[in-house]
Amino acid sequence: MIGRTPPWILPLVGLIALVWIVPIVGLVVTSLRPISEVILGWWSLDEFTLTLDAWIVVWDKYPLAYAFWISCKIAIISTVIPMLLAPAAAYAFHFLKFRFRRLLLILIINAFVLPNQVVIIPLFRLWRDLGMIDNIWSVIIPFAGLSFAWAVFLVKNYLEDFPTELIEAAQIDACGPLARFFYIVLPNALTPIAAVGILQFMWTWNGLLLPVVFLRDELPLPALLARIQGVYDRNWDQVAVAAIITTIVPLIVFVVFQRFFTAGAQTRTGGKE
Amino acid sequence: MALAADIQGGPSGPPSDRPRTVGRRQLSDTQAAWLLLAPLLIFFGVSVVFPVIETIRLSFYDIRGLAPARFDGWGNYSTLFSDPNFLRSLRVTLVWAISATVFSVAIGWGLAMLCALDPRRTLVFRIMIFAAYGVSEAVSGFMWLGIYRPDYGLLNGILEGVGLSGLTQPWLGNPSTALGAVIVAYVWTQVGLPLMTCFASIQSIPKNLFEAAYIDGAKPASVMRHIIAPLSMPGVRVAIFINLLNSLKAFDLIFMLTGGGPVRSTETVGFFMYRESMLNFKLGYGAASTVILLIAVLVVSIPLILKRTADAR
Amino acid sequence: MTLRVPNAKTPLRGCAATLAAMICFGTPALALDGELVMINWLGGAQGEMMDKLQEDFEARNPGVTVRNVVPQAGGDARGGIRAVLMGGEQADLLVNTWPAFRAELIEAGLIVPLDEAYEANGWGEKLGESWRALSIVDGANYGLTYTFGDRSGIWYRTDTMEKAGIAPPETFEEFVGDFAALKDAGITPISVPAKVWAHAEWFESLLLRTAGADYMARLAAGEASWTDEEVKAALSKWKEMIEAGCCDDGNTMLALDWDISVDAALKTGDAAYVLMGMWLNTRAKQEYGETPGEDFDIVQFPAMGLGHDDESMVDAKEFNVLSSVENREAADAFMTYMLTADAAGIMAEYGLASPSSDVDPSIYDPVIQRSVDEVAGASKLQFVLGDLLPGDLGSEYRVALQRFLQDPSDETIDMVTGQLADVAERAY
Repeated sequence: MIGRTPPWILPLVGLIALVWIVPIVGLVVTSLRPISEVILGWWSLDEFTLTLDAWIVVWDKYPLAYAFWISCKIAIISTVIPMLLAPAAAYAFHFLKFRFRRLLLILIINAFVLPNQVVIIPLFRLWRDLGMIDNIWSVIIPFAGLSFAWAVFLVKNYLEDFPTELIEAAQIDACGPLARFFYIVLPNALTPIAAVGILQFMWTWNGLLLPVVFLRDELPLPALLARIQGVYDRNWDQVAVAAIITTIVPLIVFVVFQRFFTAGAQTRTGGKE
Repeated sequence: MALAADIQGGPSGPPSDRPRTVGRRQLSDTQAAWLLLAPLLIFFGVSVVFPVIETIRLSFYDIRGLAPARFDGWGNYSTLFSDPNFLRSLRVTLVWAISATVFSVAIGWGLAMLCALDPRRTLVFRIMIFAAYGVSEAVSGFMWLGIYRPDYGLLNGILEGVGLSGLTQPWLGNPSTALGAVIVAYVWTQVGLPLMTCFASIQSIPKNLFEAAYIDGAKPASVMRHIIAPLSMPGVRVAIFINLLNSLKAFDLIFMLTGGGPVRSTETVGFFMYRESMLNFKLGYGAASTVILLIAVLVVSIPLILKRTADAR
Repeated sequence: MTLRVPNAKTPLRGCAATLAAMICFGTPALALDGELVMINWLGGAQGEMMDKLQEDFEARNPGVTVRNVVPQAGGDARGGIRAVLMGGEQADLLVNTWPAFRAELIEAGLIVPLDEAYEANGWGEKLGESWRALSIVDGANYGLTYTFGDRSGIWYRTDTMEKAGIAPPETFEEFVGDFAALKDAGITPISVPAKVWAHAEWFESLLLRTAGADYMARLAAGEASWTDEEVKAALSKWKEMIEAGCCDDGNTMLALDWDISVDAALKTGDAAYVLMGMWLNTRAKQEYGETPGEDFDIVQFPAMGLGHDDESMVDAKEFNVLSSVENREAADAFMTYMLTADAAGIMAEYGLASPSSDVDPSIYDPVIQRSVDEVAGASKLQFVLGDLLPGDLGSEYRVALQRFLQDPSDETIDMVTGQLADVAERAY
């Protein structure tokens, strides 16, 4: 809470959010009505029946529990890695001086331009030669590697505001660069780390392209549910179910992690401590 | 920056000049840096450097479908620059990327500032807007198709309902409205990101700055302008970076809504790359367009990065 | 669709079954065993159908397990299939519905000729001459067609016809003449979905009736030019139809994908006719809940009196055997199974027709029956042109037709055919 809140804030933001969520409401409605009713549009009111058919079909036909477990493994590991390594790198790039600092930074950040398709075929051959097809690490390694482009940038941007007097103080106490990182910078960088966590979790949880190519039986949730759609019959009611199931988890992660956004504000004061 | 203004450099000058205290075994900056970077570089090397080198190599070959690759030198590049479809896609991409980024960041930032004034009770709304970001592009495309449908679409239905039937049209079929329509749908999906990063930025502004301002009798609008706006810049910068570069890669939404049409008026470079690499399977040609995109982004980003890192310690 | 998980019980069942077979029937046939690997990109209802067929096959051949390699999807499945093949994945069978792709595979040496297998397994007895001809390239046969669809069928709702007081047309003159009656009844005569690919069907059907299958085959092979009179004649016929008021305005057509058009014709009745493949039958039954033959029906593309009225456009799916095949016996056995009446029965549940002569046509609903009869009675079969064209010519072709629809004039026809001829030169 920052001071007094004008009363018009809540209704204004609320209105925007309600308009914003209209398509998503449509998604939920599509999953609950028979396809023949929603085929012209989920808001059509000629006939209105609610049914759990699509939900039941998806539940019965697809081994959701196992895929959920695989999705968890992939997403959690692929998220923890950048959450640990990106701050380390950002710290190194921002606070330490070493050769190739700027060259490396340029390389890493510009990698963000790369579309996933560029990565697929060369990596597929590599994984096949190493016998790693259908091993979840074949997906985790590129997920982590590709994340650094934006994760390092994100953490570095937040670190630029970092009060240097804390670092100075640590140096006076004869803390080496590594100690300064672990004891001073890291605990105060919870906000960007949480942001990296939220985004990376969402992208790896929803990630479809890499798992579909590199995995066979060990399929995460979105890859599994991609088979619902045919070329000639889209099964939008079941697809809607799949979308809802898949999207809920990253939203939960968002709610949990965003509490860390205020963590840095307490310790950083404007003045000398 | 306002914050840095109260902080002087350390008592004896910038850190790297100061003598290391003897007696405690310490790493030099360089050693520490490489230690911190090593694991990342391994992941990065395998997943990024190796494919990029492959892509650059492929861009010099003429590959059609499954036929054996023929070395072609600069052939792909010269064809690209004389291909009206590629050149058109560059133009479309410029409009697309800039409008999508400007609108989504502006809206997200504005919303973040409003939400920051009451974080607890706006949580629900923030979740609702972030949900749009969490839904996959393909599914979003499906929902917006329903909205833009010429016959029973929601948009045309609303326009007719309020008496504006003159404005109804085939939004995705008219080459002059198609790009705009797709941009609106895309911005809808993307606002969640700037909202989150700017909000995070604002939340980490030290509280005593606000206390000081209120003690001085500042109104919320002025607080927004002088404290929140400048201090949320990290979040804004990150949002611009991520949204801009993601818009260059955007594909699924365009595919669902227009398939690159009508008459290719919504075909961005990202779509062009996909079409050439995956549909026509001219891998060399697609690779060349990727390399050009990479170079274009490098040209813009290198000066910016150099400038920002020049004054780091 | 149940996901396949390798089952450890199958080999055991296999041994038991073989033993039983040997005891009961004396001389055992070569017991099939091992794994059959299929590159299977079919999803949705067709994917379900293939799963059922695979399960049925496994039940009849207990030693065999079928494993699917599912390529990454995304619009056209060929990209994913190429990625799988280039990555060196081993597989035995491939489901293929693009003759152009088949040609590519042959050139790259990735599929093998099946002539010997035809002899050994007696497929020639079950598959008519014209079906075999569809998969022959340069004198050798590379595929086994297991299903086909009529692409010359125009779909309509029976009550729409009643509302306008017309009967399904037989000649082109009747067809165009009826437009006025339809428009008076407030119905758009034709819904043309020009967003991606489905508008090409109209051009191709017109070209088939005006120039014939032989010409189209030459055009697809790059031996005829897009600037020929035949192509322009077909486009002019379409211009005629548009001037007679057949369709929505250009931009609206460009906004419609095939599913919106078929909704208009078969669900809401806002339009009268739509030209679409047989999967519309499945959609109408499952998603609209309508009855084939009663609520809706198809009529073959009207006759134009130019000598090509008994030719039909078709699409088909075939199996190719990959050169990386390891279990050839099982692959051949599966293809033989696909031509049996049991397999056809499963396919009929999903609204798909089998070309096998073993099939009793009464298992099909009236709409499929009609399409099967038309195709069987056709003097020449022509595969859908769009799937015959190589790579970028295919996309350029569809965009060119979009430009034509935006402004259907003679100048546009000349410009568009000129552009296509240019792209074709580079493509072949």
